[in-house]
Amino acid sequence: MPPNVPSSSGLQRLIAQLAPLLIVCAVVFALPVLLNNDFLLNKVARYLVLGILTISLGLSWGFGGILNLGQAMSFGLGSYAMAMALKLKTVPVHTGASGLPDFMVWNNVAHLPWFWEPFRSLSFAIAAGLIVPALVAAALGWFMFRGRVTGVYVSIITLATMVVINLVIIDQQSYTGGFNGITDLAQLEIFGVAFDAYGRATYYLVAGCVLLSLLVAFAFTKSKAGLIVQAIRDHESRVRYFGYDVALYQIFVFALSAAIAGLAGMLYTVVMEFASPTFLGVQLSLSVVVWCAVGGRQSLVGAFLGAVLVAGMQGALSESAAFLETWTLVMGALFVLVVLFLPKGLAGLAQAALRWIVQRRQAPGRGVAQGVGQTEGST
Amino acid sequence: MDQFIEQIVTGLSIGSILLLVALGLSIIYGSMGIINLAHGEFVMLGAYAAWVFHTYLGLGLLASLVPIFLVVAAFGWVIERYVLSLLNNRPLDTILATWGVGIMLQQAVRLMVGSELRYVQLPPALSNSMDVFGIPVSSYRVFLFVVSIALFGATWLLMNRTTVGMKLRAIIQDRSVAASFGINAKRVYALTFAYGAGLAGLAGALVSPLKSVSPDMGTGYVVDAFMVVVLGGVQSLAGTVASAFILGELSGGIAFLQNDTVAKAIVLLAIVVLIRFRPEGLFTARVRA
Repeated sequence: MPPNVPSSSGLQRLIAQLAPLLIVCAVVFALPVLLNNDFLLNKVARYLVLGILTISLGLSWGFGGILNLGQAMSFGLGSYAMAMALKLKTVPVHTGASGLPDFMVWNNVAHLPWFWEPFRSLSFAIAAGLIVPALVAAALGWFMFRGRVTGVYVSIITLATMVVINLVIIDQQSYTGGFNGITDLAQLEIFGVAFDAYGRATYYLVAGCVLLSLLVAFAFTKSKAGLIVQAIRDHESRVRYFGYDVALYQIFVFALSAAIAGLAGMLYTVVMEFASPTFLGVQLSLSVVVWCAVGGRQSLVGAFLGAVLVAGMQGALSESAAFLETWTLVMGALFVLVVLFLPKGLAGLAQAALRWIVQRRQAPGRGVAQGVGQTEGST
Repeated sequence: MDQFIEQIVTGLSIGSILLLVALGLSIIYGSMGIINLAHGEFVMLGAYAAWVFHTYLGLGLLASLVPIFLVVAAFGWVIERYVLSLLNNRPLDTILATWGVGIMLQQAVRLMVGSELRYVQLPPALSNSMDVFGIPVSSYRVFLFVVSIALFGATWLLMNRTTVGMKLRAIIQDRSVAASFGINAKRVYALTFAYGAGLAGLAGALVSPLKSVSPDMGTGYVVDAFMVVVLGGVQSLAGTVASAFILGELSGGIAFLQNDTVAKAIVLLAIVVLIRFRPEGLFTARVRA
């Protein structure tokens, strides 16, 4: 659209931007109809959850310019919050006296530690799964952005912080299950609906959360705060000279992204039926960055699809070990090529293709004008 | 008292390995601004090269050091030339690209020689132990200490007393002015990266008798090396040396008082706090422009 069109087309533009998002969500919701296999459905749900995690990174990296190499930290915290609540709900066979989790019994812990106590309430756990990652991120963000830490240093600090939390969780075996994580969980049950990891209900729960996170992230990028965050990404000091509190906006997008990652973490526990320190490991954290870059860091739908496609492909090929090894090699090469030649990822490629088609179908003179307008804003 | 000295010596030994690994990274990061996440894989390549030279050619570790340096440097040169030089002015993306390259190298090695652990023999001449301040220390660790200091000295001379070093320093200060004086920045960058990679390869070869060699051995080193470079300050070689030994002593000392995990966590936290308050590192006098 040319920038100076009357506002009546603002709605049209919004619809055009929402379209890919809604189409993708429609496909996600329709999938169980085509896929009559509970095992496969569980796998797909897992990739969708990783997609939500990647959306959260896209928000802070693609829109906020904050390359968080510790995004899995928020994911892991959410995952543990859910696992702690579900662990306390397991049938007594899997727990010690008065519902003490089995691994605590093995480690000679006599009483449930105080910070486990509130997790007897599921609503507390769900709230904690969102709020704890957001608060931790806000505190870390306050620490970094108030000191005007930028660029590479943000990446190093986020990565190091995640490693520290990971080390602490592995080290405090008697309270966290250590290296094995928290296993043998009860099923999640909300309002009488049981969410079996291999059931339809869980799939739709995940699909609903995909829609929710895409919409929340989309709404944020279109809000005034979202626009200022993007302006900060493009030119931080200029925004500061306009009188905006740059750090405040950065902290906000950082915390929002962490909350979405926490949501993904909780869902991951439900889908995988355990929580493990690898959920906040370096490997996962860097993989998320790859998915985001391949899909398109400045496109929410792109980031989501990038994760689902790449993780899905990896999962599909993991049946044969030799093939998986070659695949990792190909993946590395693909990733390098995307970084070198497609900084906007597959989403950028799709947009360029779309623009080219639209231009071809219009008179040459008008086509150029439209093309220029459309390079701005994307979903 | 003996225990105290023993702790100091352990710290020096950890520190010299850290210095070996971090020196190449420091050159690359300090002069080119490239966060080289493939650095750990260069270390791994060096270790595998030592293993290959030993198993297939029967060369001892000491005799194969020079060829290992050249081989890994050649790898570095190719990567700079065909990947990194395309990423001018996109420093954050170099993190991603070098990480991708790292995955590829790791996976290629895994495909070619398998992921079993490999072992490299200690050079027979250095396999006994000697007395340092009344403490028996393995001669090889003393040798590593000497080599790491010697390599630092060589690098310092290269940077400050040769034409290539002078050209590099000119480019760091102002690339376009340097270019207008006829300095071929591309070539100097490729050489610098190759040199840094070669140093990493040497480090890998030198530590290979102490640890087992595996395709993913580099991951741990790259994090440690980064911490050294960040602590020491980006453009300060002397800072890198100081911080390598400080970190070595710190992790040795805390591990003695607590355990390895706590030591690692505390060192990481200390570095996070340091980056926040002194992003230019402990040992640089430069003020923000």
